[in-house]
Amino acid sequence: MQATEALMEKWEVQLRKGTLELAILAALQQRTLYGLELLKLLQSLPSTTITEGTLYPLLDRLKRDELVDAQWVQEGDSRPRKYYQLTPLGTQKLTDLTRLWRQSVTDIELLLANPGPQPLHKTGA
Amino acid sequence: MHPSELNHNEMIHRYLNELRRYLVRLAPHEAQEVIREIESHLFDVMDQQTAAGQSPDVAAILRGFGDARQLAALYVAHIEEGAPPPLGFRAIQRMKKSVTASLYFTMAVFGFSMAFALLFIAGAKFLLPESVGVWSTPHGNSIVVGFVSVPPMATPEVMGWWIVPVATILAIGIALLTRKVLQVLKQHM
Repeated sequence: MQATEALMEKWEVQLRKGTLELAILAALQQRTLYGLELLKLLQSLPSTTITEGTLYPLLDRLKRDELVDAQWVQEGDSRPRKYYQLTPLGTQKLTDLTRLWRQSVTDIELLLANPGPQPLHKTGA
Repeated sequence: MHPSELNHNEMIHRYLNELRRYLVRLAPHEAQEVIREIESHLFDVMDQQTAAGQSPDVAAILRGFGDARQLAALYVAHIEEGAPPPLGFRAIQRMKKSVTASLYFTMAVFGFSMAFALLFIAGAKFLLPESVGVWSTPHGNSIVVGFVSVPPMATPEVMGWWIVPVATILAIGIALLTRKVLQVLKQHM
């Protein structure tokens, strides 16, 4: 039982790791957020919960890859915050990753919805 | 300032200083940007917890960032681009690092010694003007530069007081160049 739980946890970690970049790009879609806002948004969803130690270095990499842009903004008396937004390249990458993600979901849903023993007759594209 | 607040600030500064140490492979402005963002996050969360009537839990916030060394490793990972080398290559990597370290210290000693020697010559010219200079032999076969106890016989001193600004400028140039080279070498250590 414990072994199954450990495997599930491992799979969940792998899934989260693989989809994290997509989750961040999607969270920044038509939104400008600073690190803490983005962290809270991701932590509010069960499958995208991450830590500060994962988020900030990843944002740094996305910025170096020119997928996001960042600037420091100070509003009133508040502390200056670094706000992130998608660049045109980031928007393009989000479109590409979204297409791949939806294709994966469609494919897996098809497999799940058609158990054996009958052969699977794929319809459509 | 409340003692617990002082303690919180101390914890934050200790963590950020440790992180700064491990970020040394980044360019200074990049490291500063990382520190600034994390510092802003830490104080932001503390402010929000205080505003919500809670006592700020700095230890828990820092746990979210993890060990400073591991966090820094994620920020500098892009410097070590490409696939990790096979296990057998680790020894070569270690050797490369130790060669770079030796080169770093040799360069530092050589560069800064040269700069210091030139500054010394520039300063000594004021104290012992007859013993400091540049002498050329009559046929131009050899040249004597620097600080001598007895000036070479029958050879004219060619620079005069110009040796002071020239040596000073050279010393500054060599010191700056050494610093630049050391910065580059440090990124490969």
